[in-house]
Amino acid sequence: MPDNFVQTIDLRKTYNMGETEVHALDGLDLSIPSGSFTVIMGPSGSGKSTLLYLVGGLDWPTSGEIHVDGLEIGRMDENALADYRRNKVGFIFQSFNLIANMSAEANVAFPLRFAGIKKKDRVVRSEELMEKVGLRDRIGHRPTELSGGQQQRVAVARALVNDPPLILADEPTGNLDTASGVAIMSMLDELRKMGKTVLVASHDLRMLNYATHRIYLMDGRMVDEQQYLESISIS
Amino acid sequence: MRIVDLLSLIADNLKRRKGRVALTAIGVIIGTAAVVTLISLGAGLQESATSQLWGINDLSNVEVYPGYPDMMGMGMQTFTEDDIKKITPDVVAQFESMPGVQRVIIKQRVNTGIEIRLDKLMAWGSIMGVNLDDLADMGVQANQGITDVSGKNTVVVGSWIKNNFYDPNQRPGDEPLELPELMGQTLKVDFVKWNSDGTETRKSMRLEVVGVLAETRGEADYNIYMDWDEVLKLNDWVAGRRVDYNKQGYDNVTVKATSPEVVIDLAQQITDMGFQAYTPQSQVQSINSFFTIMQVVFGGVGAIALLVAAIGIANTMAMAILERTREIGIMKAIGATNNNILSIFLGEAAGIGFLGGVGGFLLGWAICGLINLLAGSYLASQSGGGTTLATSIPVWLPLFSIVFATIVGLISGLYPALSAATMVPVDALKYE
Repeated sequence: MPDNFVQTIDLRKTYNMGETEVHALDGLDLSIPSGSFTVIMGPSGSGKSTLLYLVGGLDWPTSGEIHVDGLEIGRMDENALADYRRNKVGFIFQSFNLIANMSAEANVAFPLRFAGIKKKDRVVRSEELMEKVGLRDRIGHRPTELSGGQQQRVAVARALVNDPPLILADEPTGNLDTASGVAIMSMLDELRKMGKTVLVASHDLRMLNYATHRIYLMDGRMVDEQQYLESISIS
Repeated sequence: MRIVDLLSLIADNLKRRKGRVALTAIGVIIGTAAVVTLISLGAGLQESATSQLWGINDLSNVEVYPGYPDMMGMGMQTFTEDDIKKITPDVVAQFESMPGVQRVIIKQRVNTGIEIRLDKLMAWGSIMGVNLDDLADMGVQANQGITDVSGKNTVVVGSWIKNNFYDPNQRPGDEPLELPELMGQTLKVDFVKWNSDGTETRKSMRLEVVGVLAETRGEADYNIYMDWDEVLKLNDWVAGRRVDYNKQGYDNVTVKATSPEVVIDLAQQITDMGFQAYTPQSQVQSINSFFTIMQVVFGGVGAIALLVAAIGIANTMAMAILERTREIGIMKAIGATNNNILSIFLGEAAGIGFLGGVGGFLLGWAICGLINLLAGSYLASQSGGGTTLATSIPVWLPLFSIVFATIVGLISGLYPALSAATMVPVDALKYE
């Protein structure tokens, strides 16, 4: 594994909002080491989520480069990106993004369908992960029958089902109560200890307790901790 | 993605929106049922029309008559005896040597009027000779007696001959006479010829009826068949000399083909030789092409109903994709390719078409059954039985209707599925 698992070079993402251009990312150069727990802090609109989506291959940059595990994903076509998302990345969202009509276990196993895994093996794998996130007894429940914390644990299990090296989490504790939030954070910490590279966008300051690396973003640019703290104290 | 997983996912997705899928499928059901019913109705009409055609069992026959010159554009000119293309023994031999010909049956009438008497009854008729000992060889069957006409002073009569008898002394108001049973009767037949001086000469014969033919719905119903040599002798008597058929030609021949497939071609060859050739098959063919057009038109009317159903599917799928935009985003985020998404949504649209196709065929089948039942009882009440089938479902129609409805679904789903497949993942995920 290369030392810098994720690297961006002069990364830009510009949205056209009618007449005006919004620079969500404005020339970002960053390196994220392999096996790190990196927290991206920043206020709303700072470009945290945009960065995460670009690294996750869910969107294309306007310009610049994104290298993940030696792959330049900014220029990949949709098929190659789908392959990348399936094998290299596990996503965890603020709003869980589970499919409402599927059982918890089916949600966890869902990515394996697109990977062409047989049903028998899917069941074994998803049960194992449901066990791991402590929801063995909730296998047949629908997402609506689970608490927010439980839903997010299902989402974590789903993110791990293809055993990807990179875990991306976008405000994973944003919709959770304090205790559930802590549980998710320590779960992410566990993943780092297993050797995965964890990249979390958050403005939950508790997340910093688990961080091995921190990135502060403001208006699509990296700033140092001092500048960031000043900006939030003013607001 | 494995095909079995794709299919189970499609089935699950359809199941979770049962109500809407059912409503959309109803449109397809109605459309397919209309197509099935109308095509079956067309096919049924075609069957009953062709089965009523004359001599449907004579599809391998070509009836050949002498050829007359084309009178069109000839002005006031008349044609002479020499212009007529006659069926001479040489021509018969020529026909016999043509490939695809099984045999040639010569038909020759006695060329004069006859009077038939049976007790007090009289009848008219026409004596026909064929160069066969047994009429069964030309495809007719006996209703009573035998079909062998080679016996001395015997005849075999067509099924309608008895209807020709009348009572010359009947007065108005008398009970209509009962038609005679001809089998086994001896007919007194007078052949009448008119001489050039205006006098008539008669020749009487007593002929025993040894067979009555089964109805053919053809000319055989109206003929009295007699031994071939006897007919030729009578014609010599009528002409007052030996008739030279090399000069005069025969009335008509039936060219029997080895199989119905070659008949049209054979008739064309004979026509090209200058003779008049008729085959029931050309009639069947033109009727068939008429009914094929009718079925296409009927099917087209049904297809309009299917078109409306197709718009329904497209609408349902477009709505589904709007509602499931986030789900599409999730699927992409966890590794679904554009092709996966396309297959899922196309599969759902085709699935609705398939369900509608199966349901529509069953409904159409039921409607056809109902039509047959109602038409059957109506016709029975009108004519006292002997009804023909009103609809007939062609064997290819079940598969065709289901496949067609599925394809309609697939095509309707194409645009919505494409727009789902090409969504940018992040936009789909952010969709509220």
